[in-house]
Amino acid sequence: MDSKLIMQPISQRFAPAVAEGTRRLLETLVDATPGVTFAMLTTADGFEIAAHPGALSKAQRLAAMSSSLQALSEAMVNEAGLAGARNLVIESDGGTIIVLGVGKLAPRLALTVVAHGGETLGRLLWATRECCVSMEQQLLPVIG
Amino acid sequence: MFTGPMGAGKTTAIRAISDAPPVSTEVANTDQATYAKPTTTVALDYGQLLLEDGTAVSLYGTPGQQRFSFMWEILCRGAIGVILLLDGSTANARQELQSYAEAFRRIDPGQPFVIGIGRVPPGDCLLDECARALGSRGIVAPVFGVDVRQREDVLLLIETLLCVLEAHGLEADHAAH
Repeated sequence: MDSKLIMQPISQRFAPAVAEGTRRLLETLVDATPGVTFAMLTTADGFEIAAHPGALSKAQRLAAMSSSLQALSEAMVNEAGLAGARNLVIESDGGTIIVLGVGKLAPRLALTVVAHGGETLGRLLWATRECCVSMEQQLLPVIG
Repeated sequence: MFTGPMGAGKTTAIRAISDAPPVSTEVANTDQATYAKPTTTVALDYGQLLLEDGTAVSLYGTPGQQRFSFMWEILCRGAIGVILLLDGSTANARQELQSYAEAFRRIDPGQPFVIGIGRVPPGDCLLDECARALGSRGIVAPVFGVDVRQREDVLLLIETLLCVLEAHGLEADHAAH
């Protein structure tokens, strides 16, 4: 465990400038990907770091749910004797939710993307992964 | 089902009595301002316990924080009873008793309910106060001082819960006749 993480509350670790830089990447993802209506970066324990659009009233609950589902996925992966849970994909009649671990960072972070309509899963995954790579590049020097 | 605020000992209690290593969903805790501990449960703990009489008990633990309250409702559905754990050494144990008791009574008022309070300072009348506070709200629940690291203490909570469940069954039988 990184001692910096224990000593500093989240509001100090994720300064407004970092959150704003992240939000701009989320905005680019939402604007450039047909069907994507919401994107959010969260900590593994369910706190929102940045989201776009920011006014979604359910963002805090979605952040906590994303954290729970990711942890459950990881527990299931371990139970099945696999290793290294990476992505969580939920497909519904109305659209798709993707939760991707943003690798190489500590604490672990996750990118949650909500898409409505019939955009193909492959395209959504590709766009979400590209956004993850950009986030890693931007955040690694700051918090990694 | 074990519930209670962050740091009350839910994960520890399930580890103390589960026959097999429990399923855990602990991650790094980034909210050190609320509770300074390295990890926190974000979905559930799951363990299993086989009692001497052959009764198999599934053990579930909830996340403690309010932002995970959706998990409280999911885990409460179908649970035979709720064990509320509290940390008696914290200044707000009394308020937490009230808020968690009311939250879980709202989800299922008929579920057997048992309270376990850890780290009660010597000479503190917290247990009596908690029992009275629950009684004044019409909540009937046994209250115990426990050390959740001790298997016997956690088993006491489980056995009490099963006794309350049995008493509910007898009451229902009596009412039916």
